[in-house]
Amino acid sequence: MIKAIIKKELIQLRRDPRLVALIIIMPLILLTLFAVALKLEPQNVRMAYVDQDRSFFSHMIKTGLWSDAYFDLYAVKNKAQIIEEIRAGHAKAGLYINSNFSYLLTENKQPHIQFFVDGTMPSLTTTMKYHSNSATSDDISSDMYFSDADADNVVIAQKPFIMDTRILFNPEEKETWFFLPGVIGVLIMQIALILTGITVVREREKRTLEQLLVTPMSRTSFIIGKLLPYVIIALLDFYFILLAGWLFFDLPQPSSHGLLFLLALVYVAVMIALGLLISLISSTQQQAMFIAIFIIVPSILLSGFIFPLEAIPDSIRPVSYAIPFTYFVDIIRGLLIKHTHFIDLANAYLALTGFALLFVGMSIIKFRKTL
Amino acid sequence: MPATDNKMIRVKHISKRFKKTLAVNDVTLAVEKGVIFGLLGPNAAGKTTLIRILCGIIKADQGEVLINGLSSQKAKPVFGYVAQYFGQYEGLTVWENLEFYARMYGVTDKKRLDYLLQRYDLTQFKDLLAGTLSGGYKRRLALACALAHDPLVLFLDEPTAGIDPLTRKRLWDDFYQLSAEGKTLFVSTHYMEEAQRCHQLAFMSAGTLVAKGSPTDMKHTLGDKRVYTSILPYQPEVQTALQKMAGLILVNQFGNELRIVAQNNVKKEQLEETIATIIQQIIELDETEPNLEDAFIVLTQNQTSPATNRR
Repeated sequence: MIKAIIKKELIQLRRDPRLVALIIIMPLILLTLFAVALKLEPQNVRMAYVDQDRSFFSHMIKTGLWSDAYFDLYAVKNKAQIIEEIRAGHAKAGLYINSNFSYLLTENKQPHIQFFVDGTMPSLTTTMKYHSNSATSDDISSDMYFSDADADNVVIAQKPFIMDTRILFNPEEKETWFFLPGVIGVLIMQIALILTGITVVREREKRTLEQLLVTPMSRTSFIIGKLLPYVIIALLDFYFILLAGWLFFDLPQPSSHGLLFLLALVYVAVMIALGLLISLISSTQQQAMFIAIFIIVPSILLSGFIFPLEAIPDSIRPVSYAIPFTYFVDIIRGLLIKHTHFIDLANAYLALTGFALLFVGMSIIKFRKTL
Repeated sequence: MPATDNKMIRVKHISKRFKKTLAVNDVTLAVEKGVIFGLLGPNAAGKTTLIRILCGIIKADQGEVLINGLSSQKAKPVFGYVAQYFGQYEGLTVWENLEFYARMYGVTDKKRLDYLLQRYDLTQFKDLLAGTLSGGYKRRLALACALAHDPLVLFLDEPTAGIDPLTRKRLWDDFYQLSAEGKTLFVSTHYMEEAQRCHQLAFMSAGTLVAKGSPTDMKHTLGDKRVYTSILPYQPEVQTALQKMAGLILVNQFGNELRIVAQNNVKKEQLEETIATIIQQIIELDETEPNLEDAFIVLTQNQTSPATNRR
């Protein structure tokens, strides 16, 4: 009996070539993607620096930071700009070396240099702090001791200079600040892709679509009527989680409520339209679910939501930028935690809008062909 | 533009191809107002495809459909459709389904919906989920939903398939009632006795309309062919022997009744002799009027060799 059921299931599965293709292709793609993508070790993390000393010694510090390819240094004009670069998302870290660095060093006066890190992503913050040690390692500092011939012999124990670390935007490195905004996006993605994903295909499978198609409803009213409930649910969810974040997790207020709402609208539009597209291209609910999950899993892993984008190698990075969720994560962290200026988020907003238009357009074309 | 004549449905040279099969092949027909039009044909004859084209669910490759003088798309407010399979929402109650379909046509008149519930014996099940109804009541609900907007034309795709005889009779009584109210009904079926009840009929076979007319006209499509009948238990040898005879069009067995349709040049005695030699018994054939089934089978069969049928 069990054998007969197993056989029947396998036959049914075989008769759905699209599902079989998905079952075979999905692990292959995910495997290649993750085997290559998830190194978990960031590389070339952008670091904005200001070196006012421009000495042999300050250069040694920079070389130390540069040498293991963890940090990718570029010069900016002044200290304020370092913070702005990090706020805008151009850099994740910063370095400031004052003009009197070599002077104080030669005077044995233990100069301070400042190291800035973006605190929005605590895991990245931790590894950045760890890697910043290469600036103060013995290899570098051993050449920085100066003895005064006239003075008493001092025990060489003191560090020649001190590096102060300043964590920006999330100074307490709260994990919830980092996770919550992204979780909102994941939830909306699930609602949109899974609920919307089966909404049309279910009507087709249950044969209710045929009965609906003879009514004088227009295609537009069908689509709007189908999608609007999910748009509202998704928007409510967006603010529900945010409210929980504000009430219980001390989540900061956004730099602009208007921009936050704009994000909610555009992102929900992208996801719902993508869900509709899934529903239109699938012929069974099973297929729709499979495609939805196929999109959700890489979105979570490759978007910078959990692992920093810096940890994703250049070869895979285009995939990250093809994921709408990547831009959502970028914007919502910018708005809530870093208070990034709109101008620096404009590209991400544009990308999301582009996705929305693309998916809506594809849905309309597909809808015309199938119904 | 409203119909200038009393033709409620006009179909001109409709064709539809699905990959290799020509599902509907150059179909032309017209149905007058208030008529019950029966589309009779074996399974896979293209009946459902034709109805779907008429309802505007699928597009024909060629041809024109006019319902009340309008294209299917524009005529949607004036016709209703009951699909072959239950297409209402199983997760909604009877009332919710009815209300939903009514609103899709802009109908908000609760009295009309109450009237429909009553008419189709559904009042008692008003608050039940549609999915829990029996087959017969599901069909009634589908009818009620299709009638919510009081359409002029009703398309019914095998409305009585899988329905018990009593419910079937009730549904047909209702169809007459609807026709008497002036509605035009387009019904597909493969039940002979239902075809008999239609005012007008079309036989469909392999995508083509092979005959059109009233049930009486249809019986006459056999022309000068003769129909013979006799009471004789089923014997495969008789069938085999008769099939070998020239001029035989159909050998059909209904239980104990043998029916033979033959060209008029086949002599009755010749047939009697052939059968008698096999059953070793004298047999008398009676010449009779062709019935709808004779006509249907003859018209829809592959006409190069006589078919045998046993029921």
